[in-house]
Formats: sequence, C-alpha cells, structure tokens
Amino acid sequence: MEYRFNLAKRMLFNKKASLIGAVLAVTIGILVIHVNFVIFQGLFDAIVRDLTDYRFGNIQVTDEEDYIDKSDISLINWFERIPYVEAATPRLSTTASINITKNGERIEETRVPVVGVDPLRDIRASTVHKTVDEGQFVYSRNSIVLGSNVARDLGGAQVGDNVKLKIVDRYGQDQLKRFIVTGIARSPGGQGFDYSVIMHIDTLRDLMDRDGYTSSIMVKLNDPTKAIEVKEFFLRSFPNEDFIAETIEEAAEQQLAGFRSGIAMINMIGYFGMMSSAFAVVTIQMMLVNSKTREIGVMRAIGAKRKDILIIFLFQGLIIGTIGASVGTVAGLGYTIYAQETKMSWNNSLPLEVTIQWDKILQTALTAFSLAVIASLYPSYRATKLLPVEAMRTV
Amino acid sequence: MTKIYGEGDTQVRALQDVSFSVSKGEFLLVIGASGSGKSTLLNMIGLLDRPTNGNVIIDGINTSTLSDNQISSFRNRKLGFIFQSANLLSDLTVLENVTLPRQIMGNNGTAISDAKKLLTTVGLEPQMYKRANKISGGQAQRAAIARGLANSPSIVLADEPTGNLDSVTAETVVQLMKSMSRKLGQTFIVVTHDHRQFGDVDRVITTKDGRAFEGKESSKIEVTA
Repeated sequence: MEYRFNLAKRMLFNKKASLIGAVLAVTIGILVIHVNFVIFQGLFDAIVRDLTDYRFGNIQVTDEEDYIDKSDISLINWFERIPYVEAATPRLSTTASINITKNGERIEETRVPVVGVDPLRDIRASTVHKTVDEGQFVYSRNSIVLGSNVARDLGGAQVGDNVKLKIVDRYGQDQLKRFIVTGIARSPGGQGFDYSVIMHIDTLRDLMDRDGYTSSIMVKLNDPTKAIEVKEFFLRSFPNEDFIAETIEEAAEQQLAGFRSGIAMINMIGYFGMMSSAFAVVTIQMMLVNSKTREIGVMRAIGAKRKDILIIFLFQGLIIGTIGASVGTVAGLGYTIYAQETKMSWNNSLPLEVTIQWDKILQTALTAFSLAVIASLYPSYRATKLLPVEAMRTV
Repeated sequence: MTKIYGEGDTQVRALQDVSFSVSKGEFLLVIGASGSGKSTLLNMIGLLDRPTNGNVIIDGINTSTLSDNQISSFRNRKLGFIFQSANLLSDLTVLENVTLPRQIMGNNGTAISDAKKLLTTVGLEPQMYKRANKISGGQAQRAAIARGLANSPSIVLADEPTGNLDSVTAETVVQLMKSMSRKLGQTFIVVTHDHRQFGDVDRVITTKDGRAFEGKESSKIEVTA
C-alpha cells in the first residue's frame, strides 16, 4: 500500500499544473457553496433577525379575534416570570390618514400603518427604538415617530413638525389628533417601521376607543431555542382563551416562504457547481492517466495488477479531494469570518447575519471530497484497462 | 505459437508456428531485421501479450491457463524486463525504481538493501537517490538492468537494451548483462538487431517474416515443432 500511495503522490505532485487545476476545481466548488451560504442564508437570517427584533419577537401572541382583550400587563407579567423570557411588550396596530402643512401646502397620506407601543417596555423587548436616527423614540403621549418613507412622502417631514392623524374608532367615527414629530425611523434593509408611524399605545387605544386592547404581545427570549417550549407552555396555561402563539418562523412564514425556496434553489445551483468541479477533476485525471500511459505499461510489465493501478489513481483522487476540500474549507471559512466580522452589507442595506455552522461546513467539505474521489473512479478504471504491451508502445 | 494482428485484408502474421525451448541459465540472442517478429516474440515470452495460437510454457506452467492477476504475479516473480529505452518511472528515484518490483511482490523486508547492492554492482551507487529522469541514458539502462534483476527472476527479457546507447556505453551494458548472467545463473533472452555487440553467447535465434530459425543465418534449421 505504501509504494502505491508514494507513487500516486509523486505522479501528482510532479504534475503541478494538473494538481493545482484539480485542487482549484474542488476549492472553487466549495467556495461557491460558502459564498452562497454567506450571502443568501446571511440575508435570510438577517431578515429573520430584524423581523424578530422589530416586529414579532421570538414568540408573538395574538388572538383569534382581532384584539386581545385580556390585560396586557397580566400577560406580560406571566411571561416575564419564565426564566427563558427576557422581556415582553404589547403592540396595537391600525391604519391612519396623516396630513402635514408645509409652506402653506397641505400634504396628506392615507392608509399609513400605525403601531402603538409601550415605550418603556418596548425598548427591552425590541430594538425598533434603535432605528430612530433623527430625534428620539416615542416618549410622551402626543409624540410620534415617522418612518423615513412616510416622512419623505409627507414632503420631507422633520423632527419638530406638527402632523395631524385621522383614525377611525371602533364605532366608525373619525378621530383626529395632532402630534409633534419626535423622531424619524430608518432601518437598513427596510424591515423596521420605515413605512409606518409609531406612537404611544395608550394614545392609540384612546383614539381607537379600545381601552386595554392589544393587537399582539411580542416576547423576547434570552434563549431563542426555547421558543417552542415557551409557546406550548403558554398555550397550555390558557386553554380557555382564543390565543394564537407563534414562533418567529411561524409568524413570519408568509414573508420567509419564498425566500426559503429561493435559498434551496441557490444551494442546488451551488451543488451543480460542485458537480462541474467533479467533471473538471475527471478531465484532469484523464489527462494524468494519458500522460502516464507508458509508466502504467511498465508497472504492469513488472507485475503490478489492475487492482494496483486502480488504487494508485484512486489515491490521487483522495489526495486531490483532501487538499481541495481543505483549501476550499479554509478559504470558505476565511470568507465567512470576514463577512461576519465586517457585518457585510451592500449600499448600506441589510447587514448580513452570518453564522458559522460547522455541520454545514463539514457536510460541504465531505461532499466535495467524496465527489473528487468519485470523479477519480472512471479515470482509474480507464488506467486499469490499458494493456501492458499497448501502453509500452506509447512514448 | 502464432500471433496474428488485425483481421481480413489487414491481417498481419507477426509470428508463425514458432516453437523452441530455452534451458535454464542460457544466454539467448534473438536477432533479425526490423519487423521480423523478434519484439513480438519477446512480448509473448514476457506474457505482455497472448499468442493467437499456441502456448508459452515457463517452468512447466502453461501460462495460457492463467488469469490476468495470475499472469501479473507470474511476471513479477519469474520474469525480469529490460526495455530499449530503460523505461524507468521518472517520478521515482533510481533506488525506488529498483525497489519497485519487490514492493509490488509485497516482499519489502530486504528490498531496499538488496536494491542498493544491485545498484552498487551496476555502478550506480552515487546516483541511487537521483530522480530517474536526472541520470544519463547509459546510467538509466544500467538502472533498468538492476530493476530487471531485483526480483531474482528465472528469466530476464531484454528488448534492444543497447538500442539507444552509444557504442562505449552499449559495450558496458552488454558486459554487465553477461556478467550478471554468469554470476546469478539466470536465463537471458535478449532481442537485438546487432548481435556483434554481444560476441559469443550460448545460443542465437534468428527471426525472419515471423518465423524463427536456429543460428545466425536464416538458412539454418527452422525452429518449429
């Protein structure tokens, strides 16, 4: 076995161009998978992260009816007694018409989403307050934060401007209220409340005439892996209520479903790329076999069996696979760490949420290695088919 | 035995009804013009190719009954090859080339020390750690002789072993083969187109148009059964 490995190694390392070509093919195959993973899985995870941080939390509680009429304080206190729960906060949602008068001109926007928040609780359960890049978050009952796109559509509304909101209450009556713009919210990637306005939840309850009502409870966990456990515990604890409790994956399913199939397709393209690499390995190894025809003939003449020749070229596949998978994994890992450390994003868009998933890295490396070995099967088989007398005629 | 290449109109009878036996320890020259069938004959004896009709019997074993694996083992244990252009494996050192037949056999125990002894005998001690493609043609041919003898084969087959060498180096190689034959008592079957280089040998067979004749002239007795 030792001489066959030695011979395989020497033959391969003495054909440096072929070795580099084959190793590069495997490396690029792995790198494509890593780059795809970093970009597309990173984008997916970033969207999940922002939806969790801004909108749903790790668990979102709603009601089969439009609103939760049970006291939000009692539900929040119930949640916050669970060790896995970091914080919980109520949210109330509706739509409104907003108008502003700028330079004597009245600008109106209709059907603008409105989110009512409890400012003191919200900053513990959500990071939406961090998206306020001008002014500050909601701090009083007559302050309002405009999403950057709403502010733009209102002719460039700024902090300190007065805006008037018209909301239809539960009895179908229009309710008007004037607010001072205290902040403008702008999130990278637009997963925050860029298209909404944010106000104090109690102000919104008053306007809607829904005192004590809540649209949803957003629950943030200190250990997101316990989401299902906490959700099920909650539903078991309130069997007679019509609550709906969903994890982020369930709550944001609509937003994420398309993305998931896109990622699956991109991954498939990546694996097709890896298969192309395998074909490159086949070609390079066929070239190696062709260039070693005479040597194969000599080895057969001095007693090497077909099996020995097969093993020599399979060893070459193993060497190419091992080096290619190692170099590819190191390069891919380097790229992943770079993307993670620099919080990679494009044009100030959503910063990717890059995680190092060792199981996927190992799976990719093993797949590339296996493909390289499988790719060497045919050239190795071809090498065994050379007749010594024919092979020796080759110069 | 008979060896026919091709079919129909393109059929070539490379060997026709050739039959002879060689005794243990004999130094046999096979001479003849280009295309007379001498290399084909050597390929048949060396089990590198199979005859169309007939058998090659070595040490009482009819080799036509052996499987491909058995033939490989047989070549490895019983036969040593010396080719016209040395045919050393360029990826290995001279020593590794000479050790290779023993490693293929699986007999690694004294393979390296025996190979070193052989290389010393053929005067290649200083070159043994050089890559095979870094030595001269004469040195490569001497290394090929050492490799051909590495397994202590019963029969050493040499195909134009001096064909690519200058006259001085060729003379050295011929003397080396003859001295090894005398020293080790092995059978040498050497194919050459120039028998004068070899001087006196035990026996000469001449090939012409695929037939074999005893002696140096084609008018001598045809060696068929």
